[in-house]
Amino acid sequence: MSAARPSDSPEAVRELPPVPSTSRTSFAELSVRQRMREKLKAARTKAEITLSQEEPSPDPRRLKGIRERKPGIRLDKMSDNEKFREMPESESHLPSKVKFCDSVKKLKGKSTLQNDFPSEEEAYNFFTFNFDAVPEKMKAGARKKNGLNEEEEVEEECVETHEDEQEEDEMDEDVCLVKDDDLFIGQTDEDLLVMKPVDCESYTEQLKREKEFLFVPSMLPVPASEKMPRNMQPRYLEDEGLYTGERPFVSQSNQNILENRILRQDQGKEWFGDDGKILALPNPIKQSSTRPPIFSLEEGIAPELETVYRKAIKMTSTNQYFVGPGDFQGLFQLDIDISGLIFTHHPCFSREHVLAAKLAQLYDQYLARKQKNLTKLLTDKLHALRSAVQYSIEGGGDGVPVAQQSIPEYKMEIRQTRRLRDTEQEKDRTLLKAIIKVWKQIKSLRDFQKFTNTPMKLYMRKEEVDRKSDEKAYEAEIQAEIKELLEECMEEYEKKMEEYKTELQDWKSWKKTQKSKKKKKKKVTHVDEESEDYDFGEERIKPIPPKMANSLEIEQQVREKADNCRRKPGEPILVPELTLSGSITPTEQCPRAEVVRREDVKKRSAFIKVLFNSKEVSRTVTRPISSDFRVHFGQIFNLQIINWPESLKLQIYETTGISSTTLLAEVFLPVPETAVLTGSAPLEEIEFSSDQRVMLDHEGVGSGVSFSFEADGSNKMTLMTSGKVSSSVSWAAGERGIPLIPPLSQQNTGIPSALKNIDAIASIGTSGLTDMKKLAKWAAEAKLDPNDPNNAALMQLIMVTTSGEAHVPDFFRLEQLQQEFNFVSDEEFNRSKRFRLLQLRNEEVPEFRNYKQVPSHEREISEKIFQDYEKRVQERDVIDSKNYLDAHRAVVANYLQKVRESVISRFLIAKHRFLLSDLVNEEEIPSLGILGLSLFKLAEPKRPLRPRRKERKKVTAQNLSDGDIKLLVNIIRAYDIPVRKPVMSKLQQPSKSSRSFNEMFAASPSAQSPPNSPDWAFNQVLVRPFVEVSFQRTVCRTTTAEGPSPCWNEELELPFRAPNGDYSTHSLQSVKDEVFINVFDEVLHDAVEDDRERGSGIHTHIERHWLGCVKIPFTTIYFQARIDGTFKVNIPPVLLGYSKEKNVGMERGYDSVRNLSEGSYITLFITIEPQLIPGESVREKMNEMLKKFDTQEDEKLLQAAEKYEAECTSKFPSRQCLTTVIDLDGKTVFITRYIKPLNPPQELLDAVPNGSQTAAELVARYVALIPFLPDSVSFAGICDLWSTSDQFLYLLAGDEEEHAVLLCNYFLGMGKKAWLIIGNAIPEGPTAYVLTLEQSQYVIWNPSTGCFYGQYDTFCPLKNVYCLISCDNIWFNMQEYDSPGRINFDISKPKHWKPFFSRSLPFPGLHSIQPEELTYEHSDKAAALELQSRIEKILKDKIMEWRPTRPTRWNRYCTSTLRNFLPLLEQNHGKDVEDDHQAELQKQLGYYRVSGFPIHMPYSEVRPLIEAVHSTRVHTIDVSNVEFALAVYVHAYPQNVLSVWIYVASLVRNR
Amino acid sequence: MAELHLFGEIEGASGFSERRLFCKWGLHAGGAWTLLAGAGAGQTQVDDPQVDDVAHWGHPLDMHLATKGLQGWPKLLLEVWHVDSWGRHGLAGYGVCAVPSAPGSHLLTCVTWSPRGSPGQRLLGPGAPRLLRPEAAASAGERFRLRTESAGTVQLRLGVLPRHLHRFGVAL
Repeated sequence: MSAARPSDSPEAVRELPPVPSTSRTSFAELSVRQRMREKLKAARTKAEITLSQEEPSPDPRRLKGIRERKPGIRLDKMSDNEKFREMPESESHLPSKVKFCDSVKKLKGKSTLQNDFPSEEEAYNFFTFNFDAVPEKMKAGARKKNGLNEEEEVEEECVETHEDEQEEDEMDEDVCLVKDDDLFIGQTDEDLLVMKPVDCESYTEQLKREKEFLFVPSMLPVPASEKMPRNMQPRYLEDEGLYTGERPFVSQSNQNILENRILRQDQGKEWFGDDGKILALPNPIKQSSTRPPIFSLEEGIAPELETVYRKAIKMTSTNQYFVGPGDFQGLFQLDIDISGLIFTHHPCFSREHVLAAKLAQLYDQYLARKQKNLTKLLTDKLHALRSAVQYSIEGGGDGVPVAQQSIPEYKMEIRQTRRLRDTEQEKDRTLLKAIIKVWKQIKSLRDFQKFTNTPMKLYMRKEEVDRKSDEKAYEAEIQAEIKELLEECMEEYEKKMEEYKTELQDWKSWKKTQKSKKKKKKKVTHVDEESEDYDFGEERIKPIPPKMANSLEIEQQVREKADNCRRKPGEPILVPELTLSGSITPTEQCPRAEVVRREDVKKRSAFIKVLFNSKEVSRTVTRPISSDFRVHFGQIFNLQIINWPESLKLQIYETTGISSTTLLAEVFLPVPETAVLTGSAPLEEIEFSSDQRVMLDHEGVGSGVSFSFEADGSNKMTLMTSGKVSSSVSWAAGERGIPLIPPLSQQNTGIPSALKNIDAIASIGTSGLTDMKKLAKWAAEAKLDPNDPNNAALMQLIMVTTSGEAHVPDFFRLEQLQQEFNFVSDEEFNRSKRFRLLQLRNEEVPEFRNYKQVPSHEREISEKIFQDYEKRVQERDVIDSKNYLDAHRAVVANYLQKVRESVISRFLIAKHRFLLSDLVNEEEIPSLGILGLSLFKLAEPKRPLRPRRKERKKVTAQNLSDGDIKLLVNIIRAYDIPVRKPVMSKLQQPSKSSRSFNEMFAASPSAQSPPNSPDWAFNQVLVRPFVEVSFQRTVCRTTTAEGPSPCWNEELELPFRAPNGDYSTHSLQSVKDEVFINVFDEVLHDAVEDDRERGSGIHTHIERHWLGCVKIPFTTIYFQARIDGTFKVNIPPVLLGYSKEKNVGMERGYDSVRNLSEGSYITLFITIEPQLIPGESVREKMNEMLKKFDTQEDEKLLQAAEKYEAECTSKFPSRQCLTTVIDLDGKTVFITRYIKPLNPPQELLDAVPNGSQTAAELVARYVALIPFLPDSVSFAGICDLWSTSDQFLYLLAGDEEEHAVLLCNYFLGMGKKAWLIIGNAIPEGPTAYVLTLEQSQYVIWNPSTGCFYGQYDTFCPLKNVYCLISCDNIWFNMQEYDSPGRINFDISKPKHWKPFFSRSLPFPGLHSIQPEELTYEHSDKAAALELQSRIEKILKDKIMEWRPTRPTRWNRYCTSTLRNFLPLLEQNHGKDVEDDHQAELQKQLGYYRVSGFPIHMPYSEVRPLIEAVHSTRVHTIDVSNVEFALAVYVHAYPQNVLSVWIYVASLVRNR
Repeated sequence: MAELHLFGEIEGASGFSERRLFCKWGLHAGGAWTLLAGAGAGQTQVDDPQVDDVAHWGHPLDMHLATKGLQGWPKLLLEVWHVDSWGRHGLAGYGVCAVPSAPGSHLLTCVTWSPRGSPGQRLLGPGAPRLLRPEAAASAGERFRLRTESAGTVQLRLGVLPRHLHRFGVAL
């Protein structure tokens, strides 16, 4: 809007007022006129001053502008308020105008000199330009209220030149106001609108306007006087020697500008310091920049981030009370003896007590005075002096000048002594009087209250004196005194007379003034004189000659005084004696209030705390306060200190009743002198008092409470609790009498030394680096201000530099100050049994893995807990050969143990990682078909006679505890149990050893049919077998059945206990227990001694004969979930007294199935109730992890292997496909590398023709003789480790894989076609077998037993075949079935067997990891013999040990016979020699009934042998006359493979 | 010889721009501290909230610490990650949460931040820069080099059970 345009700029001015005027508004309350005047005046004077000052300024115009503008602006400011405006304007304008005119005229005179300054006319035009617009504006009616103000301002501006104009303006205003009234009446568009060209302000005009409200501070220096408060001189601190930092550099002109600006402001002077400079910090720049520096990440650590090592030091002497380790001088001892406490006042004091205390106090005073006896002393002295004077006067004739001179001195002394004596005498007398007075008070009080509280009694002993001599002495004394006084007075008089004379002369000359002066002077002198002389002096006030002393007056005075302070002549000397012999009124006779008081006292007790250096070190026992308010402690405290004591303090506490304890007072004990030693220190009484205010409601007077003895309550007194502690402090004397006192030097070691020690650098004494020295030199030259706090660090450094040695940081320490702030040392921390136990449990160390609850207190953990663990850790490297009897095996066992541990520790972490399936139990959503089926099943009729197997629910292992799990063993039936042989029977059986493979697997059974004798069937003796199952020391047995093919069908239930109660998957997998299923024959013997008894009772003796056993590891049951099948019973090759039944009748029906069976079989069903989920996934995962862990295989090969495995498992998920395995080093190896033809021991091949079946059997037997060590037990749930054949032969331990690989390699080495079978067998589970092709027949070998089976053998333990492995390929079974009898082993058909290497991926020629050739150590016969005898001895000892109650007799004859049999058995590989034995034994031991059997085992260690013997239960025979025979034979094969035979037999003599 | 038992849970996280979050956590303490039992680090499951942006984990924490000094009071370092629809993992934020020093149960809120990538990196998508050593998030030094942007918050509930600290003059 153009109409508003002219008002714009002034308005802006008002809205944005210039800085200097901002605070002026506060003056608004003042009368505006007054203010105006003042301001104008100030402005004018200022203008004058500035003008005079700034004359040399190059640009006066600008300055003037500033000055001029000022008043105008101020007016403008005022005019903010409308009300203000009306009144002052008309009145104030005139004077202001005049003044302005004056100032401006002055200015004008100067300014006109300059050409560029706008003239008055110009200025006028400028301002009136706006005015011209006003009328138009008014016409438009759009004038705002503000407009008024603007105009006024403008008026003011131009007032100096056009006074008339002002009037006009006023008029205009009025017009405007009038017009405003009818502003909006009769408006038309034309009236409102007007066309005008666009206003354009030129730049110069703009600048001019800006000048009006812009303040530009001058660059000229400000005079010091303006910056300082009035009448102040600038003060320069630097000149006074104080440190003033260096100011930051600011250019002088900038500084001037700032000063000028600040001065304009209110209280601007506050910004200036004493030296007239702007206050400034020494260095306002922040040390570190706030803005982060831009680092390029490539560069290394910046130099400022490098670290410096400071050696850690113990802050020893930071506290002066502690002695550093360096200056430790032993302990010193301070003995504090606190003997007792006496209250001089106590709140529980009765009035009588108060008096008694007072009396006691007085009496104590009296005694003390009497002891000193000052009066007597002074009297004697007086006499002596007098006599001396007398003597010197008398002997004056001798003319000794010295004596003459000393007479006045003597006299002076006499006078003083006399005065002293008089006061002492007076004191004595008043004390005596006081004592008597108090005693009288007590007596009256006792009479009044009718009871006695204190045992105090005062006796006055009168010492009669000779009246006459006494009087005489008294008189003499008085006379002497009078005489002396007279003398004195005479002297005085003479002196005064002389004075008087001179004075008189003076007085005569200045009569008037002298008189008053004299008077004054005399008064002054008289004050110093004795009182007797007073009136004497008084007379002399007048300027008359002094009077002669009146002797009578003096006499009177002396006598008066003597009366007062001295005993009257003839009066007896009173000696008070205070005794405690008085009796206290018993409590019953006291009034109520007193009783209460006494009871209160009884309740109270006191104790004292001893504070050393303000720390409580000990306290006395709490002793009750006795009725006389004394407490006896009699305790001595020995304080062992190491430094000079700072303070010793006793705190006296009083306890009331049981609970409340109040601090009565604190008493400081002086630290004793070094000479004060225990024994010589006297007890000192130290007074104390308390300002506690105690008011009591009984007879007690309380503390701090005023009370009175008077009846009317006047003469009040207030007593505070107070008392005395008697104690002594002394230094103890050590051995040999050396006082235990800290060295005196320590007394002075105060803060300074402590400070010195605190400074780490100072105490270490660092650095003497060369550059440091340079720095120090520089600092010395630069004369750095040592007081500057900024230099402090540098100065310290320099100080150190000059004294220290070189120091180079050579290592870096993490966690600085850690050690200093530790609560406990590392050793102590590690000693904590509880923490150790917790940690070991957490680490799952076997001993502590399942430790249930760790005690919460250290003391509850016995040291024994760790013993086993520590022993194991210690003995890890110690080889214990005792258990192994064979150094090599001990080493191997140790090695295996280490491998085991390393493997376990490596996978312990991985064990905790879970797959999704481990955590989430995702039930499959039933499909429609299944749903329909189940619905159909519901409708099905129930058929109870045809039970179905229900799927059991699987239980996760976490929520199990002891007793929850049971092992169910269902023993169904057995076949071909050996039968008892009639003693005399002799049967010849054909030797099977010569049979060929063809014969064995031939369908025709004719060869095996034994020649039957007709009487065989009738001759046979029944066998009564039963089965005993033992598991985890629990034994269950079935009932006894009859016959060689018994049927039990019994379910046995055995509880299962997990090791350490840990039912986790991991733990269950590592259970090593085995289920032993032993078959026994129950034999009944007639035990009747006498035939005559036979009719009346049955006496039979039951014997059990072991027939054979089946061992099934628990882990197999666990992994398989159930075991169902027929197992071969492990029957010893020879069972004395038994033979295999060859039933003719049976031969016919089953021969096709059983023709190959040589042993006995038992059908079992074993399962765990409830079913546990086997942790198979863990193993899988481990393998996965291991593959990634380390390998030397080609990446492509591994990828192919993975792909192959994935393909195979996707088709047959249940079949395991093995392509890579892990070797002993934990590396992944492709499986074919294990297969390579290897040479079997030459010894074995020498015996039989190569390539023959016997050779193969022999080799298989050799392999089986290598002890079996299942991986799944040692590396439970972790992984299978495959060792190469040479490793296997060295370790002499391994599981199925190693056996199978070795056997396969041997067969290949013998020129056979052999493969490794990966499959599943019972009872081993997943295992490896060997397949050979023998004359178009496939033979399956069990490598761990050495047995072989035909492809179609039903009793073959191998149940599933998954894949075949040769030295150059892997074939996966793609056929529908996987049991060996139903599959085709022809690997050339890719439809049946999926090869790994095919045309698309040819065999890359992987070289084997097996050695080129195996070398064998020759068997050591001597060692075997030694071992044999040792085993025999151990076993014999064991058997005797197992029969603790009965004697064990050894039949030597039988033993030697058996010993002869054993090598024969070994030779024949345990086959078909029993008949020979039987016959032989029968021949030799006709009288005995012999039952026994040989046990054959591969040798690993002794323990399994003992177990095996124990499990046969030979030792349990209970017959009284039983004898035993035991023989051991060890046969050594190459590479230290040992075959052990143990022949055990029991013999019972036949009658 | 003093002990500190910490137990509680990582309840969840909120305020992250990404969904499908999981959290890696680890305990950081000074050299004086020993972990007696319990896991000192772990990772939660991936929570894929269907409704809002609050991820719930309820991940249990249980640590038994022993200490011989007060230095290096334990801290929990949290790394929040997100999984995108292709199963790729990306960092969502780092956070450090000091274990409260007062006994009792505490509800903690841990704010997180993530390093900000250069404009080019941000253009490329979710692959945000990560710390080379996530421990740096727990340490105070050299953080000024980082340019970060704030991410969401993680809620924790921690029970603190000190033992024997008072024996060494530490009142909690």
